[in-house]
Amino acid sequence: MEEIRRVRMPLSREDALSLHAGDMVLLDGELVITAGLPTCQRLAECVEGRRELPRPLDGVGLFHLGSYSREAPGGGFEVLYMNPTTSTRFNALMPGLIRGFGLTAVGGKGGLDAACVNAMREVGCVYFSFVGGGAPLLSDAIREVVSVHWNDLVSHYRLVTLRVEALGPVTVGIDAHGNSLYGDLSQAATDRMPAIMAELGRERDEAEHMR
Amino acid sequence: MPITYEMMKRSTAQLYEWSLRKVPDDTLEALRRAREAETNVVAQRTLGILLRSAEMAETQDRLVCSDSGVPTYTIAIGTGVRLEGDIRRAIVDGFEELVATTNPPLLKHVTNPLTNERGYQGKDMPLVTWDIADGADHVDIICQPKALGSGRWAALEIFTFPSLEQIERYVMECVLKAGSQHCPPVNIGVGIGGSFDHCAKMAAKATLRPYGTVNPEPILAAMEERLLKAVNATGFGPMGTGGDTTALGVHIDYCAGHGFTPVAVAFNCWINRRTRAKLYEDGRLERIE
Repeated sequence: MEEIRRVRMPLSREDALSLHAGDMVLLDGELVITAGLPTCQRLAECVEGRRELPRPLDGVGLFHLGSYSREAPGGGFEVLYMNPTTSTRFNALMPGLIRGFGLTAVGGKGGLDAACVNAMREVGCVYFSFVGGGAPLLSDAIREVVSVHWNDLVSHYRLVTLRVEALGPVTVGIDAHGNSLYGDLSQAATDRMPAIMAELGRERDEAEHMR
Repeated sequence: MPITYEMMKRSTAQLYEWSLRKVPDDTLEALRRAREAETNVVAQRTLGILLRSAEMAETQDRLVCSDSGVPTYTIAIGTGVRLEGDIRRAIVDGFEELVATTNPPLLKHVTNPLTNERGYQGKDMPLVTWDIADGADHVDIICQPKALGSGRWAALEIFTFPSLEQIERYVMECVLKAGSQHCPPVNIGVGIGGSFDHCAKMAAKATLRPYGTVNPEPILAAMEERLLKAVNATGFGPMGTGGDTTALGVHIDYCAGHGFTPVAVAFNCWINRRTRAKLYEDGRLERIE
């Protein structure tokens, strides 16, 4: 098996453009995470200038990852575990955030819709698919909790910045050139449906004949 | 000695803790077989990552997924069993004690649907389905934490005198709608017949059947086999990034009804969380899976 490419986070625009849908990579560096819809609503307010950002987000990677964070005995925060959440829940808000902050990477699991794919192509942003149920593996890549903001929210909704080493492997689900595995697979499955239904019919007839 | 409040409290909490750390053996076996059979390289690797995560959780006593879901129980009380104390209360208290003491702590997933506020407690939580087991000398407890990732995509529609083709088409429509989003490869449970509420429960319970077991009803055994092939022909693949393995099994149950026939479809994510144990009057908790 060939070695998996490692990329530095936040991604440079050049690195973002060099990735293609279906590539697998490992992530090193800083990323910002939240699993909260209320959090992304707050971020949208920041884009519109109605709320102050707790930390700059220009060009960062913003991921739909939920984490359990708590205050560490020696001060600061510790993150006990993390894992992706379903990104499509954030479809309506993501184009505004991708354009507003010029994000270089987003991600989670399950992909994003066509409006998000367009925003990502415009800006030069990729989508990384993290494995759901990968908490032990993903959590072990955390090297440092850089900051935790919006602590009035439940733990997995907070805006958390992490430094990670070899996080992943993650799959490029959507690239910055308008290619989406999710869009392609969904279209292919829809196109295949008549053939799938025909095969089901053939096997149904066969099963009935056997009885 | 009867089964007491204390025994029930301890046992239900214990089952929940187990279910968050162990992927059932039949599921691990099915994942391994799928990895062998996969022709898509990304899918092979993804299945390898899933298996590694499961192994780490089990050997290092860690949570497989950060979404510990909400607790749901299916409990069958043997008619040969005596009960003492507030058995329903015991399950509520067991969960309350668990979230206060378990390590690492769980995220707050119990949601008030009227306000979207999240915490560890809520109306009617944990969700329990009660049943009676004639002649049994124990209480059979199944715990199946349910989370948004796969819980979101369950669906039900009511038909009148549907053909098998209509039923199968509906299952495929649900599969297409869920697409890449329910942490595949999934376990698909289908209920056919009964009434609205009964059918939904049948679909959820069907997901409890272990992979590799054969449906005793020949019509359904054949339907399960062809639907599994059909689902995997969609190509969504592990984690929905493409491949031959979108589902590891389709499990169907049915019951008689009137001519209005509900069809319910439920999904379990790849982890396929479930634990099951028998609780006896002497306090013994025999873990089945």
